Amino acid sequence: MAPVSFNNIAKTFGSTEVIRGISFDIRDGEFMVLVGPSGCGKSTLLRMLAGLEEITAGTIAIDGRVVNQVDSKDRDIAMVFQSYALYPHMSVRDNMGFSLRLRRADRSEIDARVMRAARILNLEPYLDRYPRELSGGQRQRVAMGRAIVRDPKVFLFDEPLSNLDAKLRVQMRSEIKALHQRLKTTTVYVTHDQIEAMTMADRIVVMHDGAIEQIGTPLELYDRPDNLFVAQFIGSPAMNVVRGTLRRTGSAAHVETADGVRWPAGSGGGVDGQAVAYGVRPDHLELGGGGERTVPGEIVVVEPTGSETELVVRIGDAQMTVETHGRTTLQPGDKVGFAIDPANVHLFDQASGARLVS
Amino acid sequence: MSTVALPGVEAAASAGGPRRRLSPWQAWGLVLLAPYVAVFLVFVLYPVGYGLWLARHPQSYVQLFADPVFAGSVVNTLIFLIVGINLKMAVALFLSGFFVTARPWIRWLSVLFILPWAVPSIPTILSIRFMLNPEWGVVNQVIFRLTGADGPNWLNDRWIALSMAMLVHIWKSLPFWTMILIAGRLAIPGELYEAASVDGASVWQRFRFITWPSLSTLYLTSAILSMIWTLGDFNSVYLLTGGGPADLTHVLATLGIRYLRLDQVDLAMATIVSALPLVLPLVYFMMKRLSR
Amino acid sequence: MKRLLTEAKLVLIGIPVAIWTLLPIYHMFLFSISTKEEAFSGELWPAHPTLRNFGVVFREQNYFLNHFWRQFANSLLIAVAVGAITLVVAAGAAFSISRLRTRGGRLVLNCALFTYFIPAAFLAVPMYKAMGTYGLLNTQWALILAMVTIASPYAIWVLKQASDKLPWELDEAARIDGASPLQLFRLVYLPLIAPSLVAVGTYALLLAWNEYLYAFLLLSNDKDITLPVALGHFLSADDSPWELLMTTGLIYALPPAAIYYAFKRYMVAGLTAGAVKS
Ligand SMILES: Nc1ncnc2c1ncn2[C@@H]1O[C@H](COP(=O)(O)OP(=O)(O)O)[C@@H](O)[C@H]1O
Ligand SMILES: [Mg+2]
Repeated sequence: MAPVSFNNIAKTFGSTEVIRGISFDIRDGEFMVLVGPSGCGKSTLLRMLAGLEEITAGTIAIDGRVVNQVDSKDRDIAMVFQSYALYPHMSVRDNMGFSLRLRRADRSEIDARVMRAARILNLEPYLDRYPRELSGGQRQRVAMGRAIVRDPKVFLFDEPLSNLDAKLRVQMRSEIKALHQRLKTTTVYVTHDQIEAMTMADRIVVMHDGAIEQIGTPLELYDRPDNLFVAQFIGSPAMNVVRGTLRRTGSAAHVETADGVRWPAGSGGGVDGQAVAYGVRPDHLELGGGGERTVPGEIVVVEPTGSETELVVRIGDAQMTVETHGRTTLQPGDKVGFAIDPANVHLFDQASGARLVS
Repeated sequence: MSTVALPGVEAAASAGGPRRRLSPWQAWGLVLLAPYVAVFLVFVLYPVGYGLWLARHPQSYVQLFADPVFAGSVVNTLIFLIVGINLKMAVALFLSGFFVTARPWIRWLSVLFILPWAVPSIPTILSIRFMLNPEWGVVNQVIFRLTGADGPNWLNDRWIALSMAMLVHIWKSLPFWTMILIAGRLAIPGELYEAASVDGASVWQRFRFITWPSLSTLYLTSAILSMIWTLGDFNSVYLLTGGGPADLTHVLATLGIRYLRLDQVDLAMATIVSALPLVLPLVYFMMKRLSR
Repeated sequence: MKRLLTEAKLVLIGIPVAIWTLLPIYHMFLFSISTKEEAFSGELWPAHPTLRNFGVVFREQNYFLNHFWRQFANSLLIAVAVGAITLVVAAGAAFSISRLRTRGGRLVLNCALFTYFIPAAFLAVPMYKAMGTYGLLNTQWALILAMVTIASPYAIWVLKQASDKLPWELDEAARIDGASPLQLFRLVYLPLIAPSLVAVGTYALLLAWNEYLYAFLLLSNDKDITLPVALGHFLSADDSPWELLMTTGLIYALPPAAIYYAFKRYMVAGLTAGAVKS
């Protein structure tokens, strides 16, 4: 258990800058998720923390100690790889005990710690099997077992669930979460999947193009995205966005799009006439209703999922996703209005993408 | 750079000693590579350099070119390469087609077929040498029994002896190249042939339009590699004819060694140097192929 | 009818192939079980097959066979040494080049490939001179080192191909687990490329056991030479005991053939894949 801090970290491969001066701190015992689209530099950042990649500039400290020049094996970290990277020629027991064996621990101590980890992960029946004799989920657990046997200061995960099928992924998600709650070890978890990030993280770092877009708890990111990128990246289905001009008259405000639709907005930031991006989440478009705060729409597609129904609707020239709870008798072609509460509207500057705050 | 020169960096850098020091990983990389580098320097680079230095006098070449045995060896080597290799590779191509036919007895035959390659050359070449003995060899005895006439003196005529040496070479290396081409043929997807059968392709058409296009690169590479190895084949000629009769069947490989045994190292090296215009392009081609 | 014709054609190819392949080997075998008179008679099977020749060879009862056992042991010792040293040299180099990405590794690999493509008989000449310079001529170390030189390029290449296929994450996992470079080599790398090591070790061993030219150049003392050189000596006399020569040859040819067939699985996959990458 230990805090981790990144200070002005940069990384270049040849002449390409992959990480552009990143700073943030991870608290002791925190579950921190690095999320962002593929290629944004998450793995590179994690690998620098692991000591697998040279740090071009800046410092990384684990538990207050700068580790730039420290070899991986002396950083007291453990890592779970996407491909699991189990040693194919060793049994599960030997895989899990390998790091302790390298540290010349006692046989009895190795056995005890491997057994403890196996019990936590329900791996006891498989200890004498080889990786090739295990299912994907079991291999995943062995990879985690190998990490927890070490009892390291920090756990690192690089897309550990990407090789699993959808159902197993959900199950392992909660297992990892439960494991963290039990062990309380500082964890850095990399994923491109924002749902994984939202469901598992204490806090999330959203990365894009080698830089941080926003750091915050899952709900902070969902409720108050700092910029258009985060707004569109976090949340599923993704936030609906249209581009238009902000019209402000006294305390009332709306955004006008080229198709003539007037989108209700509240007392947020921005000045009259400003070019803005107007964002509203699918579950904040309310079916029916009328009056001031309503925009007219036409149903294009109805997608029932059972407990919820997803609608694709045309509002003006824009296609929007709407999420309704329960079921509906609506048909494609039906004309309906959608009410929008200005409190749920997100406004961003069109040029910079930054959130407009009052 | 100055913006990231934080106190921590400097502390870490000075604590870790001079930045140019090798990490254990780099150091072990060099240690583990060193034995081969040493082998290469001591037993390849120095000898070759020394040998080339010994062959530096133009007058060695004058002497070499004046030796009629050299001219004969060049001709023999070219014949060996052109006839020997084309014959060998063509037969290997044909036999690879035979051996991929699915029959139990052909599987068994293929196991036996590897034997010439799996056993050392010396005893088998000597065995062939005795088979060709004009008086006691089984070949001439069979000829005598069948026709009542004496067979030829196989190893005492330049062209017959050279042909026999080529056959010995083919006998020895045919299994290897057949195996390579079998592997190549097995890599061709079966659906191609099934589709062709449905389209009513004849045996020849299947070879022409499916097998050959997939196999031609492998065939060419094999032929080139085989050329290089054939140039270095000392045994087939030396153990069968010893270069005779009257030094008429030497190839460059045996000629070089002959000079060496006569303690004319400069001539031996000159022989090799005169083969370089042929060898180096082949080597270059192969290196390009393999180091991709 | 058409099927029958196909089978007939296959048989017509198969029989000549079998005869062509086996004739020299059968001839050798025939000599080994015949007396001298019968061997020279040109019959296809001796009237009185005998194992006497083997007795003569094993008891070294002929001028040419005075040191048979000694020479057999020399062959064995040298082959095993070449196999072992080649494995050490090649595994280290392949690991260094492929897994540690040692700087200059590419160059070394190209040097090795270049060596591999120098025709063997051409390299023999300068090698012989150099061994003289090093004072190694007529010692078995000369032959061992020469054969290691010739065997390791291909060995390195095959092992490097195999190494390149191992996933990177394994090395990284081991590094994080605390492995030193040498522990990674010993505990992770070597076990994982074991099949290729078997192929390469066998290749080097057979290469050394079978080698004639270098053995004949670098060794001369009757007690130092290997079996193939001793076989070559039979040719020096006008009326050599060919039946004994063939018997010795057969004994000499059996172990490599046996090893080849025992390790065929590894050899064919490893060596044909390596020999020609199309
Ligand atoms: N060893 C490398 N050499 C050159 N470029 C690299 C290397 N590793 C990663 N990159 C590049 O760095 C960027 C970030 O990669 P990575 O950290 O793996 O992204 P992520 O894990 O977010 O998908 C990518 O554009 C990738 O192509
Ligand atoms: Mg990644």
